[in-house]
Amino acid sequence: MQQRMKRLIGCLILCCFMGVNNTFAQSITVEGIVNDENGLPLPGVTVIVAGTSQGSTTNFDGYYTLPVPSGKEKLVFSYMGMQTRTEPINNRLVVNVVLQVNLEALETVMIVAYGTSTKEAYTGAASVVDNKIIEDRPVSSFEKALQGTTPGLMVSNSSGQPGAASTVRIRGIGSLSAGSAPLYVLDGAPMSGSMSDINPNDIESVTVLKDAAASSLYGSRAANGVILITTKQGKSGFTKISFSSQLGISERISEGYALMNATQFYEQSWMGLYNEALLDGKTINEAQAYAQGAVKEVVGYNPFGVESPLDSNGKLIPGTQVVTDTDWRDEIYKTGLIQTYNLNISGGSESTKVFMSFGYFKDSGTTLGSDFSRATNKINVSHKINNFLKAGINSQLSYSKTNAPPSGSGGANPVRSAEVINAASPVYDGAGNYEWGNKAIFDFNPVGLAALDKYTYKTKRAVMSTYLDVDISPSFKFRTTAGIDTSLDEGLNYYNPDHGNGAGVNGRSTASRSDLLSWNISNILTYARSTDQSYFEVLLGQEALGTDYSVLSAAVTDFSVPGKPDLIWGAKPEQPGSFTTSSTMVSYLSQIKYDYDKRIYLSTSARMDGSSRFGTNNKYGLFYSFGAGWQLSKESWMPEWSWLNNAKLRASYGTSGNNNIGNYASLGLYGSGANYGGYPGLTPIQLENKDLSWEKIQSFNIGLELNFFSKLQTSFEFYNRNSDGLLFARPLSAGTGIGSILSNLGAMKNRGIEASFKYNLIDNDKFYSALGLNISTNSNEILQLTTDKIVSGTKLLEEGSSIYQFYMREWAGVNPDNGRPMWFVNADADDREENTLPESAFEDPLGSGKQVTSDYADAERKRLGNALPKVYGGVNYELAYKNFDLNFYLYYSYGGKAYNSDYVANMHDGTQSGTNLAVDAANAWTPNNRYTDVPRYVINNTDQSEQMSSRFIEDASYLRFKNINLSYQLPESICKSWKLNSFRAYVSAENILTFTKFKGFDPEVAINGTTNNNIPGVKVVTVGFKIEL
Amino acid sequence: MKIFEMKTKVINLIKAAFLVLVLAGCSKDFLDLEPTDAISEDEVFGSYVTANSALMGAYDQLSSFSFGGLYNPIMADIMGEDVMINSVNNWNWFIPVYQMNLLPNYTYIDAPWWAGYKLIFNANQIINNAIYIPDATPEQMASLVGQAQVLRAYAMLKLAQMYSPAYAKNPDAPSILLNTDSDDLDAGFVRAKLSEVYAQIESDLIAAASQLKANDDKGFFDNRSANALLARLYLDMGKWEMARDHAKLASKDLTLMDINDMFTGFSTRNSETIYTIAYTQEDNNTYLSLPSFYWPVGGYSSMRANKDFVSKFSAADARKSFFLKLDEIDKDRFLIVKFGHNNAVGNAERICIRASEMILIEAECEAELGNHTEAQNALYKVQKRANPGVTKSTATDQALMNEVLLERRKELFGEGFRWQDIKRRQLPFVRTGDHWVKFSFTAQDPDYFRLTFPIPQSEIDANPALSNSDQNMGY
Repeated sequence: MQQRMKRLIGCLILCCFMGVNNTFAQSITVEGIVNDENGLPLPGVTVIVAGTSQGSTTNFDGYYTLPVPSGKEKLVFSYMGMQTRTEPINNRLVVNVVLQVNLEALETVMIVAYGTSTKEAYTGAASVVDNKIIEDRPVSSFEKALQGTTPGLMVSNSSGQPGAASTVRIRGIGSLSAGSAPLYVLDGAPMSGSMSDINPNDIESVTVLKDAAASSLYGSRAANGVILITTKQGKSGFTKISFSSQLGISERISEGYALMNATQFYEQSWMGLYNEALLDGKTINEAQAYAQGAVKEVVGYNPFGVESPLDSNGKLIPGTQVVTDTDWRDEIYKTGLIQTYNLNISGGSESTKVFMSFGYFKDSGTTLGSDFSRATNKINVSHKINNFLKAGINSQLSYSKTNAPPSGSGGANPVRSAEVINAASPVYDGAGNYEWGNKAIFDFNPVGLAALDKYTYKTKRAVMSTYLDVDISPSFKFRTTAGIDTSLDEGLNYYNPDHGNGAGVNGRSTASRSDLLSWNISNILTYARSTDQSYFEVLLGQEALGTDYSVLSAAVTDFSVPGKPDLIWGAKPEQPGSFTTSSTMVSYLSQIKYDYDKRIYLSTSARMDGSSRFGTNNKYGLFYSFGAGWQLSKESWMPEWSWLNNAKLRASYGTSGNNNIGNYASLGLYGSGANYGGYPGLTPIQLENKDLSWEKIQSFNIGLELNFFSKLQTSFEFYNRNSDGLLFARPLSAGTGIGSILSNLGAMKNRGIEASFKYNLIDNDKFYSALGLNISTNSNEILQLTTDKIVSGTKLLEEGSSIYQFYMREWAGVNPDNGRPMWFVNADADDREENTLPESAFEDPLGSGKQVTSDYADAERKRLGNALPKVYGGVNYELAYKNFDLNFYLYYSYGGKAYNSDYVANMHDGTQSGTNLAVDAANAWTPNNRYTDVPRYVINNTDQSEQMSSRFIEDASYLRFKNINLSYQLPESICKSWKLNSFRAYVSAENILTFTKFKGFDPEVAINGTTNNNIPGVKVVTVGFKIEL
Repeated sequence: MKIFEMKTKVINLIKAAFLVLVLAGCSKDFLDLEPTDAISEDEVFGSYVTANSALMGAYDQLSSFSFGGLYNPIMADIMGEDVMINSVNNWNWFIPVYQMNLLPNYTYIDAPWWAGYKLIFNANQIINNAIYIPDATPEQMASLVGQAQVLRAYAMLKLAQMYSPAYAKNPDAPSILLNTDSDDLDAGFVRAKLSEVYAQIESDLIAAASQLKANDDKGFFDNRSANALLARLYLDMGKWEMARDHAKLASKDLTLMDINDMFTGFSTRNSETIYTIAYTQEDNNTYLSLPSFYWPVGGYSSMRANKDFVSKFSAADARKSFFLKLDEIDKDRFLIVKFGHNNAVGNAERICIRASEMILIEAECEAELGNHTEAQNALYKVQKRANPGVTKSTATDQALMNEVLLERRKELFGEGFRWQDIKRRQLPFVRTGDHWVKFSFTAQDPDYFRLTFPIPQSEIDANPALSNSDQNMGY
């Protein structure tokens, strides 16, 4: 059925095609020359016979000739940047015109989906980020520079690993479990690899497509918005060579919360043992003796110079020398050095334009064993073969190397090690070798492992696309594009034979090679017709694309020669593996635009996608959109107010889809590797779902752009995105055998307001100063789930709640009478059906009037706020005076919360007795310190005070100075005398100051509000310069 | 007109290209892709070879450290009075289990549940689909189905013992989920009655015992192991005669290992092994294995023996050498050297069922039935292996039963029996000696709830047929 439909559409398209050439009639030939105001000929001017689709273009001399059918009276001359001119023929055979520059509104051309548009005519919600914002930033990947520039765009960097990806979300979170990342398109070709392979210096502009009218042409991949990246192209004229370089120092973004030193930890451990003995029924003397005897065992080392450093009350005897006091954070964090070098060459003639660049970026990282370097090369060439054919190639090559220690809660993560190993543990033993016996993670010393283990990754990337433009006639244009995006990745993990992850097997080395190849082919036919009143455009296209990802991995163990990570040195091979995973997609798209009198703009689009990822019952989807724009200020009935320069109203509605799930998610599968007794084994890994389908998004957007007093530009948008058929791994009862099944079970809504303001404070010859502000809000609500409640980790998903809603027991403080933790019983919460008070409940001794309990299981869980911020955005201020330019740029996020699990590990209240503590833990309850928020510290504590509760939910709102940049442009006269085109030097600081209440290093934690021992963000100060020859 | 001709040619070329692409994209298989590293369910039961691999996968699931490999045996002994986790140097493994202080969201509660049910699901698939295998002979089918039945029964018995109260206390108490053939994902599963669960286990094992032949490779279940599990089941239910009979069938013709075998570390199978998990040097759980926790060096090495338990062994008992006091490693408590590694950490088979256990079941049943002589004989068989000079017991009634139960503790410690032995006989739970968390409660005390695991919170949250009110008492 669907096969036939496709054939039909294919035929229809062909038929349209066939009809192209058959419009001939009686005609006279008119010719002429088109010049600009200075008398110079204008090549490439479009000349159309008004009321027909016939036309021609002027050649290099500004000369045109075209047949005009009898009865046609006028010719329309149009050229970008010039005012369109309609000239009556008046029975002449030679019609020469002069075109004027269009001063009124220099129509800025934006790159949009499958083409370009002017800002005026565009009916969708899109924002353009100029390369000035990206150019000078010392970031490894351009999307980090986008934070706070565009309303509705949220960029969060949860790891400071150089080269790490950021989490980018446009207008909230659209999916429960399918990816919510936007689609990235580089020069018209969809990207499937890492963003950090693109050199930010090569980017000309970035367009963020936010609503349906803007992104619907990308169909099933557009649900989360689209980011179009356009790289620099050559310009005709003389060749420009520019060289720029930047040198910077980077550091961990903040101090974080303080950790205990050796003395504090030793004393605290004594107290924990003392309390443990007292609770066990021992007398005070027995408890003191017990603590004295066991404290070294619990801490692991005696960091003092004497046998018994503590007095009978567990306090350090004054005057005792502290021999070991390791600041593990200092040991693993360092100052990083960032260097960038870029050489750009751009030039061209009338027919050929070339842009070439070479770039090198190196970040030595702020953490031991973490660094990144990247070399890139870009070549963009376009060539006009003759007057109707133009071809071009955009190519980019990059080679990056990175060392990245593991993240997460494993022992090999140096960030976690620095937080949990206590200060009494020395880095080196007496003989100068690494010391491995710490009590938090036995046999893991982060300084030692950084020297002995390896985590090396390399990526070779090539993104290339070629295109051919055919001007079939002045109204019909055809473009065919073919592109590939290929990454070759190499990874090597080596664990040394003696300590850490490799110790049990005498060393392990794992190598992997993976190959990701994405290809795409598209054919787009456009028909455009303009009269002096209107403009009409139709676009028809076809696209096919696919990805193939192959992985080969192998590992060996048992190394006799230390320090040699290649697999050849291991004596025992482990099971090697290889597999390939692929996906394909076939699409047909169309778009119609109609502008009337430059006042009313209408557009509509439709796209059909078929993908290999979805169940057999649902392989194809249709996506459409409608958009309208109304230039109110051009209406004749609008009064001519001097204070209102421009008013435009926009609205759009459309659908798109999200296909971001695994390639084979709808199939019922058994996987390999479940071997037993030397025999190979298979095990079920996935349940079948034939109905698995796209997630569907419907979005509605309404926007208003107003310019006041020629000084204040404002724009307001309201959007509502409804997601339906959300893919979710629905948790299943263990009785079904597999814990979850992927199904389209939910519906969600994202709704919000975006506003941006730009005010020109001063604008005269000497000074220029402008202040900009953008605000975005997003409220996320789950509309439908197939079950009542889904509890997942720290969150609860239910109808009416946000996707990142915290759900856990509510902390009530510490009981001043005995130091035990208390939680509010919340008997009326719906965690348990009955509302009766449990036996352990009692009246809150801290006077809240509510019932509390010290029995964790008796307290009911409650909904406790949202990880997503209520409001976020940026403020930027620019001041230019003569040749100086100062730019401030702030980012703020207000209302989000985070569950600080990193802090939980350091406030364990004695359950992880050798693990280091935050200094805050010294405030633990004692009979002399009864009113505190830290419960009693007991070794092998059974109070469960460290279990999940609102005790560790923090406010993650923050205000950050994202970038401050001061630059100086050398005056033209001096430049000329040095034979330079221009010279600019600048100083810039990134993430330099943050205001927040959040206790951890960086409130910009993972977007779902939980921490994960990631390398903290960095702050950087750089100096740089750019020379143009 | 030349340019115009060229244009037409180019245009026609483009039209042709367009057509080709449109039609090429329409090829039917273009959008039907299959993974290279997994196979579809139909293919698995499309031939005997792949179906047998699925059976291997089920055994692999049993060997998971969250289930039969580590959690089941070690937690069963930690929740007893004879061994303990050290109070220091324990890397926080199993502390709440030892403290008998567990919550429904703990991994120790969650992981065995999910691992066990995955094993049951694997077995269900094999049992229900084996008849469709086109190229399997009747013997092959019987072998597949029989082994899958034993695997299923093994998992269900373990889960029922861990997550429901004792059969002796209430045979109809709500127990675990029972699902043998339903693929309904929406309705959820209720907690079936313990008697229903046991009935299912019984029928599976009886069917398996009749269709399985003896297998010399003790890494796989056969009719002998099916009988052994029936003995355990009937012991739980208090059906002494049937338990004794099946125990005798299971241990028939097996010679007990001699005392030298006992000191090789319980890491390789021997003459009395009825079933062992066949770990290999390349395929084991390394640090998450029993010897890693028991052997005094090289792994987590955090298991210790209660000094009061050690003193129960007479000086002539060879098994006393399983306990060691080494001040350099631990100056406070006894180390245990019963379980060791072969060359590499974790390289050790885990012997799950052996003949000595069957003989002790026989002794216990005979004592219950009043057959004192037979009980004394069976007891003697086990005792004399460790202590050749021991005098045969002449006790009767409760005194004899106490001796049999004590011998069970001495012989089977560390192998994962003590917790259930206390619970199924509703014995009091008393920790003395150098335990660092002590308890003393009887079956009548409310604290007895600690001997039953809670239903995992993740199960209650995901299962529409269960709510927090279905949770076990005390949680």
